[in-house]
Amino acid sequence: MKRRDFLGSLGAVGTAGMLSTPALLSSAGRALAQGNDIPVGLLFSLTGAVAVVESTLHDAALMAIEEINASGGIHGRQLRPIIEDPASDPATYADRARRLMIRDKCVSVFGSYTSASRQAVLPVTEQRKNLYWYPTLYEGRECSRNVMYGGAVPNQQQDDLIPWAIENFGPRFYMIGNNYVYPKEENNYCKTLLEQYGGEVVNEEYVPLGHSDFSSVINRIRSEKPDVIFATVVGDSDVAFARQYHAAELDPSKMPVVSLTRSEVEVKAIGGEAAAGHFSSAPYFMGHATPENEKFVEAYKSRYGGDQVTHFVSEAAYFQVYQFKAALEKLDPSNITPETIRDAAVGLTLNAPQGEVLIDENLHTHLWPKIGQWQTNGQAEVLIESKERVAPKPYAAYAGQTCTGKGLVKA
Amino acid sequence: MSSKFQYDLVALVIFALVVAFGVPAVMNYDGFELNTFARYLALAIVSMALSLSWGTAGLLNLGQAATFGMGSYAMAMHLKLRASDGLPDFMAWNNVETLPWVWVPFESLTFTLLAGLLVPAFIGGLIAIFMFRARIAGVFVAIITLAFLVAFQLLFINQQGHTGGQNGLTGLAQMSLFGWIVDPYSMGFYNLVAGCLVVALAFGVYLTHSKFGLILRAIREDADRARFFGYNVANYQTLVFCISAALAGWAGMLYTLVLEFASPTYMSVSFSLAIVIWCAVGGRESVIAAAFGAIVVNMLEGRLSDVFVEGWHLILGVIFVLVVMFMPRGIYGLLSESLQKLRGIGRPRDHRDAETFPNT
Amino acid sequence: MDVIANQLFAGLSMASILLMIALGLAIIYGAMGVINLAHGEFVMLGAYATWALQTYAGIGILPALPFVFISVAAVGWIVEKVVVQNLYHRPLDTILATWGIGIILQQAVRLGVGAESRFVKGPDLLSGNTEIGPLIMSNYRLFVIVFSMAVLAATWMLMTRTEFGMKLRAVIQNRAISECYGIEAKRIYSVTFAYGAGLAGLAGALITPLFSTIPTMGTGLVVDAFLVVIVGGLGSLIGSAAASVLIGEATAIFSIVINDTLGRIAVLAGIILLIRFRPRGLFPTETRR
Repeated sequence: MKRRDFLGSLGAVGTAGMLSTPALLSSAGRALAQGNDIPVGLLFSLTGAVAVVESTLHDAALMAIEEINASGGIHGRQLRPIIEDPASDPATYADRARRLMIRDKCVSVFGSYTSASRQAVLPVTEQRKNLYWYPTLYEGRECSRNVMYGGAVPNQQQDDLIPWAIENFGPRFYMIGNNYVYPKEENNYCKTLLEQYGGEVVNEEYVPLGHSDFSSVINRIRSEKPDVIFATVVGDSDVAFARQYHAAELDPSKMPVVSLTRSEVEVKAIGGEAAAGHFSSAPYFMGHATPENEKFVEAYKSRYGGDQVTHFVSEAAYFQVYQFKAALEKLDPSNITPETIRDAAVGLTLNAPQGEVLIDENLHTHLWPKIGQWQTNGQAEVLIESKERVAPKPYAAYAGQTCTGKGLVKA
Repeated sequence: MSSKFQYDLVALVIFALVVAFGVPAVMNYDGFELNTFARYLALAIVSMALSLSWGTAGLLNLGQAATFGMGSYAMAMHLKLRASDGLPDFMAWNNVETLPWVWVPFESLTFTLLAGLLVPAFIGGLIAIFMFRARIAGVFVAIITLAFLVAFQLLFINQQGHTGGQNGLTGLAQMSLFGWIVDPYSMGFYNLVAGCLVVALAFGVYLTHSKFGLILRAIREDADRARFFGYNVANYQTLVFCISAALAGWAGMLYTLVLEFASPTYMSVSFSLAIVIWCAVGGRESVIAAAFGAIVVNMLEGRLSDVFVEGWHLILGVIFVLVVMFMPRGIYGLLSESLQKLRGIGRPRDHRDAETFPNT
Repeated sequence: MDVIANQLFAGLSMASILLMIALGLAIIYGAMGVINLAHGEFVMLGAYATWALQTYAGIGILPALPFVFISVAAVGWIVEKVVVQNLYHRPLDTILATWGIGIILQQAVRLGVGAESRFVKGPDLLSGNTEIGPLIMSNYRLFVIVFSMAVLAATWMLMTRTEFGMKLRAVIQNRAISECYGIEAKRIYSVTFAYGAGLAGLAGALITPLFSTIPTMGTGLVVDAFLVVIVGGLGSLIGSAAASVLIGEATAIFSIVINDTLGRIAVLAGIILLIRFRPRGLFPTETRR
């Protein structure tokens, strides 16, 4: 409840700020230098189907902003978060992104979970040369110079995972995902790895987003008897899948679900008992033992309630705000624009909850991949942790194409 | 009849003047505000299209979003081809080797503009013939069009290699119309959208007051009686469905230009229901009122979400319920009733019959 | 062959869930011609009520069912009294009003308990499977099938064997004349609406262990439930049951023959054809107005 009051008052402050800003002509340049605070946009759905995950990203990013403000801001200037609710609808994302980038003149916008919403925000971001901080794992194969990608791309999630899964469970993979670009792309990459390590695909199957009855899928899995279920099912579909998988009494020690998308949020809704024994690959798990993470988890819980969880996307939403801060601190306060922020951010290292992360010149992030096994208490036990930080290769599945500091280069 | 026609003409002129000159002046000619308002205007066209089939002919089309989406994708396909040399990027990602034949003619702008109108009209016509030949009416029209919409959207998303799937079509070029590059934040673009809306409205006003409109209203009130008079009811219903679909396609094309991408959510059930709401709030009996309703509701949504970040949906819901309960004929009903009271003429007409489903 | 048998069971299970949701809708539509778009939100309220009872009072799903039924029925009763009652002479407008109510309920739940997905534990009693040869049936799904049939039977009894049911049928046939005979049509309508809402609440409670409990969970369900009601024939209980079995089984069979996405498209196409050629549904009722 405290959170809502806070948001309410924050919204009121934000609105007052907007109303007092005169309607300037769009050509009037960034009015940033005039006010003393730094406007940043938060574009996470608080309503609609995606709100289940995005509201936690919103919470994490907002917490980071508040922490920064409480410790004196950046160069003595406070961050002014401007909150919009795109209501899980791509057209609304595009509309609200315009508000934040054009009307409110935010120097950066933090937002989005789904690929579709990122795509909706992209046109205005690129045209207005703004900077969009996108915390989510995604399918790669994008190389915008105006997006800071904080999540894992396929090579960071799969390179360790696939050989490990073949070795421990067997070579026969059953691929199940929602019907959109992310699962298809992850499966594309997975197939190249399977070929390399001698695995095979017994079935590749896609269900519509939001699909909730998996009895047919489970029947098929039963008759195919694969060694590994390679899952890229998202959100409430994944919750339904996991619960029905458990109810069907399929044994995780013989046929584990290895997921790229299941995190502490989903497991909380699935229930520890049903999730236990299955695996996820992610750069961050809530139980990770670093001082940075303990601080993060404790702050998050004391702010939003002891039953709340942090996960690999909310962690990125959190550390990206700190990356933003670090970039701004390198800059001359009179020269803060999205592009200078971007250039200052390249090469930055930061002690994030998952370990020390680095921003590549291709604007993706070097991360620490881990493989965790879910326990009945809803937490993951990390079984494998990569020995070194893994560089992001958004075009790993496509020979001859690389994303570099100058954009996409085709050989 | 003719005096009502005069009222509508006056309303149309006032509406056109306000949209063309008043709004931009209030907006200070600000690019962002103009772009936002152009979005509302594009949506106003699809709302008025629905009022033609629903308000005039009594056919509640819950699949309006499908035809809107077709127009939107027609435009997006053209702009995508212009933005990419050869094969659009997403096709290569989906292992599509050559440009599918459906895509090829969209290289041409003329073809695109025609397709954006005619493809929705054709598909709408097919569904209409299919339904109306069997004298399907009332709630069954709503359910069939709804089922069609759901199936169409699923199919569209499933053809990821050809349609871009869930992400839709992004990374579009800017349209160039006779050498004029359309910048969605410019006054020129705003005028284009506003002009389209006014033309569509003028057409709608003409149609509702023509003999065609009269027959449609007769069919709405009592289809059997119209049939006994010798009118081929199915043909009239099919024609109005086609026109409504073409207008929706037109709106879709403009919508793509405003937002610079096309998304399958333009074909969602919730979007289709939203169109119905705009139309009802404005008043479904008048095309101008329906367009006005779309603008008002969308502006309200924009404002509310600005002020009440967390509670705006709640307030919107309350407003809808109140509108339905206390303004059954929308803003239009409120206006025309108070106008009638002012002039003290005659009994207020009872519109209830028009709204109940005929029992089949 | 094993797959077919298991798929048939899966179809039956889907059908039972569809039926639970559609039954309340069919009663409300059949009795008063109200197209209740807030029905999905009643299902959602039922799911959340179950969650709240389990989390705060430690009551499992099965003992919670009566409470869930009563509380969601109460919400339905209020909605009917405050809004729907004023709209009986304008049935189309109920679509818009109930849509608004749906938004309000959804947002109220979100503001009240948050947007996150909630966990409800299934009953331990019904965990595990029953295996008959190659046929593997989840006990919980079996229970839902039996329960939905029981609810169908109870509703049928209510409609045909009780005084309330007789009054309701009288009001459906001719409201004015029944009122002349001293039947309070208003009260009958309120109770019927509340009963339909309560059934939706039960459906919500029963699906929580299988699905994900979030504020938007009802939106997708209501479309399918509507198709069931229309295909079954307006207001016909037996029709709704037959239609849900038909749609559930067709979905399951198409799903193995083609895949889940195209299967659903095929089912929708079938529904469109069915409505086109049998607009009054599988079991048209003779009594409707």
